[in-house]
Amino acid sequence: MIDVFSYVPAIVLLPFFSFLVALGVGKHLPKGGAFGGIAATAGSFLLSLWVLATVAGGEAANRTLYTWADAGGIGPTDIELSFGILIDPLSALMLVIVTLVALLVHVFSLGYMNDEGETGLPRYYAGLGLFSASMLGFVVADNLLMAFMFFELVGLCSYLLIGFHFREPGPPSAAKKAFLVTRFGDYFFLIGVVAVLATFGTAQFAGEGSFPALAEAALNGSGSVAWTPGGVELQTWLTVVGLLVLGGVVGKSAQFPLHTWLPDAMEGPTPVSALIHAATMVAAGVYLVARMYGFYALSPTALAIIAFIGGFTALFAATMGLVKDELKQVLAYSTISQYGYMMLALGAGGYVAAVFHLTTHAFFKALLFLGAGAVIIAMHHNEDMWDMGGLKSKMPVTYYTFLAGSLALAGIFPFAGFWSKDEILYEALVHGLNDPLLLGGYLMGLLAVPVTAFYTFRMVFLTFHGEPRSATARDPEPVRWNVKGPLTVLGVLAVVTGFINMVPVQKVLGVEGIDLLHLWLDNHWGGIDGLSSHHYADIGPYSSGYLVGGEVGTVLVGAAVSLGLALGGLLVAWRLYNVPSPTEHTAKLGGIKDVLYNNYYLDELQVWLAYRTEDVAGGANTFDQGIIDGVVNGVSSVSLFGGSRVRRLQSGVVSQYATLLTLGLVALLLALGVSGGWFL
Amino acid sequence: MTAVAASIPPQWYLLLATAVFCIGLFGVLTRNDALYFLMSVELMMNAANINFVAFALYYGDLTGQVFALFVIALAAAEVAIGIGIILVLYRNFGVTDVTVPTEMRW
Repeated sequence: MIDVFSYVPAIVLLPFFSFLVALGVGKHLPKGGAFGGIAATAGSFLLSLWVLATVAGGEAANRTLYTWADAGGIGPTDIELSFGILIDPLSALMLVIVTLVALLVHVFSLGYMNDEGETGLPRYYAGLGLFSASMLGFVVADNLLMAFMFFELVGLCSYLLIGFHFREPGPPSAAKKAFLVTRFGDYFFLIGVVAVLATFGTAQFAGEGSFPALAEAALNGSGSVAWTPGGVELQTWLTVVGLLVLGGVVGKSAQFPLHTWLPDAMEGPTPVSALIHAATMVAAGVYLVARMYGFYALSPTALAIIAFIGGFTALFAATMGLVKDELKQVLAYSTISQYGYMMLALGAGGYVAAVFHLTTHAFFKALLFLGAGAVIIAMHHNEDMWDMGGLKSKMPVTYYTFLAGSLALAGIFPFAGFWSKDEILYEALVHGLNDPLLLGGYLMGLLAVPVTAFYTFRMVFLTFHGEPRSATARDPEPVRWNVKGPLTVLGVLAVVTGFINMVPVQKVLGVEGIDLLHLWLDNHWGGIDGLSSHHYADIGPYSSGYLVGGEVGTVLVGAAVSLGLALGGLLVAWRLYNVPSPTEHTAKLGGIKDVLYNNYYLDELQVWLAYRTEDVAGGANTFDQGIIDGVVNGVSSVSLFGGSRVRRLQSGVVSQYATLLTLGLVALLLALGVSGGWFL
Repeated sequence: MTAVAASIPPQWYLLLATAVFCIGLFGVLTRNDALYFLMSVELMMNAANINFVAFALYYGDLTGQVFALFVIALAAAEVAIGIGIILVLYRNFGVTDVTVPTEMRW
């Protein structure tokens, strides 16, 4: 029996090797090292499938591979810092998603980067490889500190890839913004990691001595934690720790108010956008909350905040997507909005719903971005939707796959997005009936549904329908197999992924066993104790309430309302934009249009805040340069001055050395004599 | 002979060794010529030899004498190297005065 879990590090290391190869000898390889990346991610994908099959067979792994620091008993607890792997249903599923999307993005890059004659390809493929490797390392991490390290690596890679075209003015600035904004959140995350280590003496995610288990035991009185800051109640402190870690999540998953980096990140090459928004960086935040859900479920306050942030972001970002003119900008705001839904689900106790939406979204958003990439190739890198139109007949493969992705995004039955979004809204509704704050999140999420459908189909109609509105749209550049292949795979997935978890059908018709994802995440086929959705529901604070007709009635009403709203949004978009020569209707919005177009002036607000805090930053700089550096420089100049004086002893005259030796001997004898009492 | 040597109290040997050592030290500190250095160092070493032999006699133990033989052999080797150094010194600087070459300083 081969132990598949001992190959898990290879899943992470394969893309890392492709990074090294592309960086080292990529210049001499055909296609700038693309094949190495494809081979590596394909290998990781196959290994991940194997892991998935093994987990389905009832096995799981929680292993420490390497302990790199050990406090050795110093401090209140014996803290060990280690690298390890945690393979349970959640991480096995995520491994497959990440490696599949990474593989398809690599293939697509052949069409988007190589065929378009980009330069610097080894750097590009090195970035992709490192990006995939860091995300995979993050997914398999078995403790919070390791997760944090790979979280940061993911941030670094996003910086490198968003700023890929560093000779143009836009990308470097967008890369810096992405780096700084997410770093702002990660700062709180880092404090959170330290707080977790100080509080529990461990940062392990799973097992008897893991921090969620310790927190749970301490809360129900059967255990205690190593440390809490003086006078703070345990429950409050756990909420604070959870919120600190949430800072990193809000930054990476682009939740309000740290979402501003994501639309700018569109400056990166389109395959990178697909990778960032579908499977890697942005997904990392939501995945982290899901990973340590046993901890968050203990804190009703933290959950409520997560739900509210999520619901608000879902609506807020969707409204900004309404007026954008550029294809990728619309997709960017839809990404923020969809991750808002996932946060809403997590906050509403819908752990499975969130993972479900993470899965379906990974596929349909990767599909939409790659489809947008295909359109951008065809349009000679013009992204303005007002210059497109009529591409439907010219690029049928792209059109139909893009349409499938759009239907999924808009949440139209029976595409993938419908099932997952419906489940999120259902969870928020049934739990929200007993919790007003959650109900607010639900209402915002519900309001975002028609908005999402509207902007999605505004995008589809403007791009593919009507008359061509420019010369390039009349004669688009054809795309090759390396673009169509990934699109087809993802198009199929965007249609069928929803069927892995048909909870509404099960509830209404009573067919058992078709909620596969629920069973999967509930350790039905095996997993690690304490990491099941059942356990999370037990320790979570929520109870369900139902509308008329009990559970079945609530399911039907909820699904009907969200589907009706989605269809409504779609129909409005149809009326307004599915005409031969569509015109802008944004003028009807009046003053709101400007607000939306300028993203609620949040960028300006952040810049204003940055200027307000300039003095603080300046003070910190002075302190750093003056006091900290001053001490260091002072020590060094004292040493330098002393050295320059003392070295005069080294005169080069042998006689003087002999004299010094003799004097030293005499002094030593005298000292020995005085202390030994010879002269008394 | 042994009886005569053994009849002298050991502190006299020590005084003799100290005197020889100090003469050698005085030579090292006051002279500038490398050849004088060599000779003075030779004196200092033989002061140590006197101590070795004297204590060997005092304790009736041959180890000290063996050590003295070793030191003599070592001194011969040291002189060979020392003279080699002095030759090189002379070849490079034309003098055997140790205060002239001061290249190896700060």
